[in-house]
Amino acid sequence: MIEDLDPSVVESTVSQEDIEESIRKYGRDIYNDFDMLDPTFNENFDGILDDLLAKCPVAKSNVGSGYYLVTRQQLVREIAQNWKTFSNAQGYQPDRPEGLPYLYPEECDPPIHTAWRQALNPFMGPAKIAPYEAVIRQDANTLIDRFVDRGECDFVTEFGAVLPGWAFFKNVMGVPVDDLDVLVSSVERGTFEPPPDRPKHFAIIFEYLGEYLKDRAKQESKGEMVDMIAAGVMYDDGTMASYEDRLSVLVDMVFGGIATTTYVMADGMRYLAENPDQRQLLLDDPSLIPRAVEEFARVYPPVVQLGRCLTRDVELGGRQMKQGDFVMMCYAGSSRDPRVIEEPAKVDITRKVALHSAFGMGPHRCIGANLARLELVATYEEWLKRIPHFQVKSGTEPIYETGILRSMHNLHLVW
Amino acid sequence: MKVIVDPDVCTGHGRCWTYAPEIYTLDDNGYNAVTGVPIDVPPDKEEAARLGARTCPERAITIVVSAPGPL
Repeated sequence: MIEDLDPSVVESTVSQEDIEESIRKYGRDIYNDFDMLDPTFNENFDGILDDLLAKCPVAKSNVGSGYYLVTRQQLVREIAQNWKTFSNAQGYQPDRPEGLPYLYPEECDPPIHTAWRQALNPFMGPAKIAPYEAVIRQDANTLIDRFVDRGECDFVTEFGAVLPGWAFFKNVMGVPVDDLDVLVSSVERGTFEPPPDRPKHFAIIFEYLGEYLKDRAKQESKGEMVDMIAAGVMYDDGTMASYEDRLSVLVDMVFGGIATTTYVMADGMRYLAENPDQRQLLLDDPSLIPRAVEEFARVYPPVVQLGRCLTRDVELGGRQMKQGDFVMMCYAGSSRDPRVIEEPAKVDITRKVALHSAFGMGPHRCIGANLARLELVATYEEWLKRIPHFQVKSGTEPIYETGILRSMHNLHLVW
Repeated sequence: MKVIVDPDVCTGHGRCWTYAPEIYTLDDNGYNAVTGVPIDVPPDKEEAARLGARTCPERAITIVVSAPGPL
C-alpha cells in the first residue's frame, strides 16, 4: 500500500542550504534532527510545519530511541489507515515511560480495537449527542454569568477548561454534579501545572474513575456509556475485557475529550479577539460559526501528532525505516498541506471546505469529534450573543506548550 | 450524478452528512448507512454532495458522473 504512493509526495528536496537555513531560523536541523519538545517548535509552530511540508516528506528525530515524522496529508492518511503496517499496539508515543498502562481503544489494534469501538460508537454519534446541546448552551451561559459583569476573565481557566469537562462528565458519563469541580480542576492542573506536578493530579482522576467504574458496575444499567464500559466487551477469543482494560477505556475517553477541546476553543477565541472584522462576520451571520469552528480546528490543532510502530521494514521518502521504529503522524502538519488546502497559512473562517485532520484519520479517528464540534459551536454562538466585542488584555501574552499535544495556558480577555 | 461511499474507509467523521444530509445518511454509530452501492444525487443536491465528498478526511467517497446520453 504505502509503496505505491505518487513519487512527488515522498520526494525529499532538502538541500544543504535548507539545513543551514533551518539551523539559522530554528537553532536546529528540523529535517534530520527534529525534536517535538524543543521550545523552538512551540515558538515557531506554523513555520516549522510549513518548512517540513514543503521540503521533507519524512523528518527524523534522534531524541531517545529516535522517531520519524510525516506531515504531508496523503502520507499521514496512508499511515493512519494502514494499521497492519503502522500499529498502535505499542502506544502512541515513542520512548513510552515504563509501567504506563496502555489506554484502550486508542492504544491497541483490531480486533480488540474493533470490539471496543463498535460498543462505544453508538454513544458518540450525532443523533445520540444532539440532546446534550441544550445543556451545553445552558452551561456556557452559567459560566459567562460568573464574569460578564466583571468586564474581563481568563478564558482558559474560567471557561475553556471547564465547559468541555462539564459537557463530558455530566452528559456522557453521568457523573454526579457535586464531583465535577474536583474532576475538571484535576484535568486542568494535570494539563497545565509544571510537568513534575502533573502525575499527582492525574492520580486523583484515575482513583476517582476506578471507584466510579466499580460503583456503576454494581448498579442497574442506565444505558449510559459508562454502564457499557463497566459491563465490558467480549474479545474475539471469547474472553471478557479485564477490569484494567475497562478502566483504561474510561480514562481514555476522559483525557481524549477535555483538555484537547480547551485548546482549539481558546485559540479560536484569541483569533476572534484580535480580528474584529472577522468577528463581525460571525456577529452579522452566526450561521458561519460552524465553518469558523472547522477552520479553528484546522489551524489550532490540539493533537499535534500521534505515533505508530512499524510492524515491518518500510522505505519512505528516502528513509529506511525498520520494524519497531516509531513514526509520528503529524495531524497539525497534514491540516496545513498546500497540496490539498488552498492558502493553508491563511486563517479564513468562511472556507466552504476546510479539509483538515484535527480529529485524526483511520480507525482511531477521534470518537468525540461530534461532541467537540457541538461544544465549540455552542461556545462561540452563546459567547458572541453575550459578549460581542472583546480584546486580549494589553500587556498580557498567552503562553503555549507543544509536544504530542498543543495547549494554551492563559488568555486574558477584556470587554 | 452518483456517489459511492467505501465501507472499508468510512470511519464516521460525518462531514459529508453535514453538507448533504439527504444524500449521506448516517447509522446509529454515525457512519454512512448506505455504502458500497451508488447513491443517486438529484441535480439540486450535486454541489452539496460534491462538498461532502471533498471534505471527507478519509477520501472515502467517489463521485460517479453518469454519461449524458447513450454511450
